[in-house]
Amino acid sequence: MIQEYINSGILEAYITGSASEQEVQELLRMKAIYPEVNTALQELETDMERIAQYMAVTPPIHTWDKISDHIDELMLRQTSAPTQFIEREDNNYKNFSKPDTGPQYIELEAESNHMKVHKTWKWVFIAVFVLSKIFLACAIYFYLENRQAQQQLNDLKTELHQLKK
Amino acid sequence: MKPQLTSAEASLPAIKQTLRGLYNSYGGMLLGYIQEVIKDRATAEQYLAELFTDLRPAELNEILAPGTNVFCRLQLLARKKLAAYINSVGDCADKHGASPPKNIGGNKFIDMMSHEQQLVFCGVHYHGKSITALAAELNQPEAAIRQLLKESFTIIRNNRDDTGVH
Repeated sequence: MIQEYINSGILEAYITGSASEQEVQELLRMKAIYPEVNTALQELETDMERIAQYMAVTPPIHTWDKISDHIDELMLRQTSAPTQFIEREDNNYKNFSKPDTGPQYIELEAESNHMKVHKTWKWVFIAVFVLSKIFLACAIYFYLENRQAQQQLNDLKTELHQLKK
Repeated sequence: MKPQLTSAEASLPAIKQTLRGLYNSYGGMLLGYIQEVIKDRATAEQYLAELFTDLRPAELNEILAPGTNVFCRLQLLARKKLAAYINSVGDCADKHGASPPKNIGGNKFIDMMSHEQQLVFCGVHYHGKSITALAAELNQPEAAIRQLLKESFTIIRNNRDDTGVH
């Protein structure tokens, strides 16, 4: 009887999400009672994974970056979310509270010291940093060159004066 | 053992870490599946990203529940997400068998199936159709549709060792 149930194709319908709610409930009941059903279901799930592994495509790196950015954004929102206004016991702010109108919030401008920038700016900052170092090195080099040239010019002038005399 | 998220642990950094693990393990398989349905790489990647960003802690706990096949759960969620798209595309194959499968190409398992099996398997697996809907569409009893689906899986099982995927 169990084998008949397993062979009916209901397990395949269940794992592909095409079974009706009634069939799902029945299968979950059968799975709990008969280990054979559970084993057959696990085998089918392995088959599904096999097909998927066969057709798998490696996602590009930027796909995870998108997911990561989205979660980071949520984290940032969570940390800067406004706190619910709680009425003080001394009733000094009684007039600001309107009962039965849902949660009360005080609107405040965010005073966070942090600034959120896109990840691509990281490379821009690195490029600016490297370029500034190159310019600095060039400036020092040309300054020294110039100083040496000035020195030589002065020496030559002195020699010329001496020769004229 | 699969890590379950307790209510205290269901913070965003913990969720992010769990998602990263799931993405590393199943991202490629899910993208392959979505791409087979959508046939457009960029849109498939977009759907994959949405699948992970839209996951709620409760759904994550369901996916990671003991005795649950993580990939099959994620694939079901992907199928739900694709439902709107799925409804707008054509069937896998012409109902009268006049033309070869339209949407699924390069899948050797499907190539091995008979025309009817292809219709049922693709209808269920790629187009998210229910057994009842397929029975009505193909004018056959539900038991026959289930049987065709079972036969499709038997073909996959009998040939899975030839894929070189272990």
